[in-house]
Amino acid sequence: MRELKAKLFQDLSDAVVDMDEEKAVETSHQVIDEGIDAYEAIEKGLAHGMDRVGELFDQEEYFIPEVLICSDAMYAGVEVLKPHLKGDEQGEKKKVVIGVIEGDTHDIGKNLVKIMLETSGFDVFDLGRDIPPQQFVDKAKEVGAHIIGLSTLMTTTMDGMREVVRILEETNLREQFKVIVGGGPISQSFADKIGADGYAANAADAVRLARKLVS
Amino acid sequence: MSTSVNVVFQPLNRTVQVEKGVTILQAARLAGVLIESPCNAVGTCGKCKVKLDQTSRSSIRPYGLHHLSPEEEEQGYVLSCEAEVLGDILVDVPSRSHGTELKILSHGQSVEVTPETYFQKRYEPKDDRTFVFAGDELVGLEQSNTEDQKYGLAVDIGTTTIVVSLVDLGSGQEIASASALNPQSLHAQDVLSRITFASTKRGLMMMYSELINELNRLIERVTEKSIVNREHIYEVIFSGNTCMIHLATGKDPAPLGKYPYIPEFTGAVHLSASEHHLGVSPFGLIYVPPVISAYVGADITSGILASQLHQQKGITLFVDIGTNGEMALAVEGKLSATSTAAGPAFEGMNITCGMRAGAGALEFFQIEDDKTITTKTIGDQEPVGICGSGLLDIVGELVANGVIDKNGRFVKPESTLLPASLKERLQLRDGKRVFQISRQVYLTQKDVRQVQLAKGAIRTGIDLLLRSKGITSDAVDRVLIAGSFGYHLRAKSLIHLGLLPDSFDGKIEFIGNTSKTGAQAFLMNQSLRKEMEKGVTEIEVIELANYGDFEQVFVRSLGF
Repeated sequence: MRELKAKLFQDLSDAVVDMDEEKAVETSHQVIDEGIDAYEAIEKGLAHGMDRVGELFDQEEYFIPEVLICSDAMYAGVEVLKPHLKGDEQGEKKKVVIGVIEGDTHDIGKNLVKIMLETSGFDVFDLGRDIPPQQFVDKAKEVGAHIIGLSTLMTTTMDGMREVVRILEETNLREQFKVIVGGGPISQSFADKIGADGYAANAADAVRLARKLVS
Repeated sequence: MSTSVNVVFQPLNRTVQVEKGVTILQAARLAGVLIESPCNAVGTCGKCKVKLDQTSRSSIRPYGLHHLSPEEEEQGYVLSCEAEVLGDILVDVPSRSHGTELKILSHGQSVEVTPETYFQKRYEPKDDRTFVFAGDELVGLEQSNTEDQKYGLAVDIGTTTIVVSLVDLGSGQEIASASALNPQSLHAQDVLSRITFASTKRGLMMMYSELINELNRLIERVTEKSIVNREHIYEVIFSGNTCMIHLATGKDPAPLGKYPYIPEFTGAVHLSASEHHLGVSPFGLIYVPPVISAYVGADITSGILASQLHQQKGITLFVDIGTNGEMALAVEGKLSATSTAAGPAFEGMNITCGMRAGAGALEFFQIEDDKTITTKTIGDQEPVGICGSGLLDIVGELVANGVIDKNGRFVKPESTLLPASLKERLQLRDGKRVFQISRQVYLTQKDVRQVQLAKGAIRTGIDLLLRSKGITSDAVDRVLIAGSFGYHLRAKSLIHLGLLPDSFDGKIEFIGNTSKTGAQAFLMNQSLRKEMEKGVTEIEVIELANYGDFEQVFVRSLGF
């Protein structure tokens, strides 16, 4: 049994990496049929696969389309496994409020980060694009977020990120949330300058950063 | 204890005193020393590197090392926009920043126009004076008969380059032309960085006055060349993208940088040349053609005029391949337009060995049938970098020859049947796969990704623009490629890359700098202005981001 379990988890992980949606679904059904724990299958199978995808993206082996197709395979597997999760297992996920800062409507990068965070076990609240700084803070308070993620592609709107940090400081909330930033014109030194907690160069990096900040 | 430190810039040997903590780039700007900083100090382009000697290295806080190779770090290079000065230092500014000659495209497809200029001159023999009229209004008097001395300027203000063309308003002939780097690009390369730079009064003033100064230098050059008296230049056409038009007329471009991207200034007006300090006739005027939207500017209006897009039978697509990827579609004369954020990869930015089209830039790359490689550089010298056309050639050829797979990945040299001549060029550099082009110049996997993003953006624009009119790509009759590097591109590369659909093969025409030739047409015939001012209001502007499946189409367009 243990061997079968390990094999099925590996298959799930491979199905995600190989962008094989059919195999992800098939193997997930097999997991249920064998009475293997669904939560464990997501953790050690599908999510493990997305971790590998993140690494491949980082190594420039995979690009945006591959990551999206992999995540489709992951989600397809999760759909099968989800009804079999025991209530308490879906439990406390770390929460991230994410969005594109006010003045900018380019959101493909943000969407990619969202997918990578979700598939890595974060609960993501996506505000969308062209979002005023105050709205990030309001939403983070409302849902009790751990992290606020800010994205922009345009140098002209970067200052809105500084504003989010400023509002947090002014309202004595700075210690409650970690602020992470990313996007085309953003750099580590910009993150340092505005007092953010971290910068991620890409979606895989964002997952690593988010995990580090909430651990 | 004093907090001031001295920074000495070599080889100019210029010293400036600054507060501790100021960046080297800020110090250089104070000292009036030019260090090229295309991304305007956000620390993303890595092009503003300078070299420090051993002792100076301990007097700075470097940051930004991720853009430097280990060898460069070893040699004492730092990014001037991020390195903060902590003590007295000596900075060596690399010679590449000292301004090299650029290859600038100054010709393009033009349209025959009947001379009908805005300015008219009439000689009155009885008082031996010449009357100068602007429209119907008498604006000036000149001694003796100057009737045959009536000139105008067509100016293309590109984000990277400026072209000034001196035109005889009598005959419509171009008498001389001159071009130069847009001086603003040295502080900030792309439109968005330019808007940010101009967000302070001082920054805007600097962008505006540097541009006007450069225009005056170019005016001097064309008039000297042709022995034309500058006082006899009466009208100047400013063609350029919406941001350039704002900066050239001293207007704040800030609204262009934020959604909903509404331009404050939309052209279609006359401005006083003397108020803008242009060295032409004291009663000279500037005419700015109408802009279409924040990201489809007066340069595209000029392009439509020069290519007669609105008069074409059938279906014609006009594309300006550049940072903003402007495009216009004409279906039996009815126009729609859009733009797409291609980013600065085509300008050689964000590309490891990228550079502008200056001396030493690789501009042509071909893999021959026997799998040997032919390259050409500007100035026929040893390549020092890759410019936009070279970049598209390289990636296009590598895709066509199986060195890059359809997902954009370099193939694994050990597991493919590549000929040895190509295989040996797939090398490892700092642990990452690169394609080695010459001793100094190579293409990285990351560079390929940047090209994918840029070409994917343009292809998405094309696909969605066509779809918005219910047209498939094979129904398109003609494809006109305009823009600063238009002529240098090859149709083959654009198709290999998937930047253009396969079905465009054989329908592609390169029409060159139509911003300039369109400006000449505007200059020669004032009725065309009214015609285009009306025409522009009828163009349907399409906002790609509002298409629900924009992202899916974009992602699909990334592969080769």
